[in-house]
Amino acid sequence: MPWKQGYTVSDETGLRDDELSWPDGARCAVQVVVDLNVASGPEGITAKDLASDAAVFGATEGLALLRAVLDRHSIRATISVPAVLARLRADSVRALAADGHEIAAGGFKGEDVSILAREEEQARLVRTTDIVAEATGTRPLGWFGLPRQGDPFAGGTVSAHTIDLLVEAGYAYFGNGLADDIPHYWVSDFATRRALLTLPYYYHFDDQWFCMFPTKGTGLENSDFPARNWRAEFAAQYKRGRHFHMVVHPQHIGWANRMQALDDFLGHLRHHPGLWVATGRQIAAHWAARHPPATHLRLAPSIWKDHPGSLS
Amino acid sequence: MASDLDADLQTLAAAAARADAHHEFIPRIAWPDGVHMAVNVTLDFDAMLLRRLMNEPPSQLGKGEFGGRVGIWRMIELFDSHGIKGTVFTPGRIVELYPDSLRHVHAQGHEIADHMWEHHVPKDAALERDHLRKAAGAIESVTGRKPVGTRSWHTQKLLQEEGFIYNSHGHAHHLPHYHRDPGTGQALLNLPFHYVIDDAMFYSSAWLGSGNAAQRISDPDRVCDMWWDAFWQQYQKGGYLNVVMHPFVSGRALRVAMMDRLFTRKKSLPGVWFPTSAELARHVLATHPPKEG
Repeated sequence: MPWKQGYTVSDETGLRDDELSWPDGARCAVQVVVDLNVASGPEGITAKDLASDAAVFGATEGLALLRAVLDRHSIRATISVPAVLARLRADSVRALAADGHEIAAGGFKGEDVSILAREEEQARLVRTTDIVAEATGTRPLGWFGLPRQGDPFAGGTVSAHTIDLLVEAGYAYFGNGLADDIPHYWVSDFATRRALLTLPYYYHFDDQWFCMFPTKGTGLENSDFPARNWRAEFAAQYKRGRHFHMVVHPQHIGWANRMQALDDFLGHLRHHPGLWVATGRQIAAHWAARHPPATHLRLAPSIWKDHPGSLS
Repeated sequence: MASDLDADLQTLAAAAARADAHHEFIPRIAWPDGVHMAVNVTLDFDAMLLRRLMNEPPSQLGKGEFGGRVGIWRMIELFDSHGIKGTVFTPGRIVELYPDSLRHVHAQGHEIADHMWEHHVPKDAALERDHLRKAAGAIESVTGRKPVGTRSWHTQKLLQEEGFIYNSHGHAHHLPHYHRDPGTGQALLNLPFHYVIDDAMFYSSAWLGSGNAAQRISDPDRVCDMWWDAFWQQYQKGGYLNVVMHPFVSGRALRVAMMDRLFTRKKSLPGVWFPTSAELARHVLATHPPKEG
């Protein structure tokens, strides 16, 4: 594609439905992401955040209920955990890993890294990798920059350096990109084809935007919407043989009606044969083998011309 | 003072008169034989251009990039599967970002129309003309012909000088109508649409700088119900509906599936015509030309 610095991150056209294949003849991939972040805003987790009832619930009963429902429906999830919580809730992180879920890094304290200078971002990245590795015994291979309810936009955050730093630090994937609804390559340098596999994220499948959101006042409760969106998206993706993803937070999804809706939805999901329910690490490994950059990242030089009076 | 009130009344009366003079409505449109109602299915193929214009961060750009990588292909496939001829309002810069998709849009018989150069209209007259000509030239490089339609706030006089036969924006009436330029006295056909029938209103969080908390997170069934009601209201009158979608929004799998159901439902009624905007514009210009002078 005519890749364009400052506009695009990947190649011109995504893979068509008929170009995809999943392991062992599976017809549709499913990725469930659990975000343990309790940060309310871009600065990351604060003392006030940790003291909130939502955070306490999400760390205790909410998490226990979520673990049980994932287990009941045989779902192996990808857990995005900020380093701070990997340290403070190390027992929970180890329990999740023992359940069979993948532990991925969700920033140092679940902050917006785009506000950091490169050196600071790199220092936090290195520290985060170490702390998460310490909690689980193996280094994380996935990194998430998921959004917070107090963010100005809903897609999550990266800086101009994030992808480059993640490649340098040996990460296998970045967890939340919007440019496709399947895994795709995020190019950090066109000339060298330096790129990192990115897993898809779309905020309509993330419970935080529907549970007492926005946060000013007490927000609106639209917690019947996620399950409606999940069902509609899953039906469409299953028909296409493509990829379905969803993001839940124990502090939100753990409560009463929301937990019931999740339980019902996962039961509905499991009635469909031919699913490959996979973690980020598994998806990344499959993609590297079946759709590697050499054959599936089709970059072409830019044909963009700059003009006076036009944006470059 | 009472005389201030009189001045107030006069000022407002003059404003209303100007607004009335600007719009020339057609009370009832005679559609071609066998047609009861016309629907223009349109796309605003912005991809990430408007996000870039508003200096939004990478996550927002990525959201727009989905429109070029995935969304546009799905929308054209959807239109083709229903025999619908669509109009793709395309900013000129998209030709340098997604040329393959635009060649496909054209090859499949859909119209590519103007949507500015980089999704804004410069205030400087010379620069505005430069942008309009660049955009028209970019589209011509794909289709072999200059576009005849626009969806923009380009100056009407300039559009008419450059050979455009219709614009498509605003909602002062349900039916296609004319905008009379007070300066030149000339009339330009307008194909109206209302934001109620625009997918970005329902699904694009932080649309047009509205802030994350201005929630736009509807589920598709709710939108389907509203859009069906809009269609049905116009069908009963033998009227017109303009549907506005953005590939980065409606190209998401759950929404393509919903639009598939909605189009099937619309086509279950007799006499529904789905032409390109240019084809519809030519029909209206021929059968209901603007008044003289």
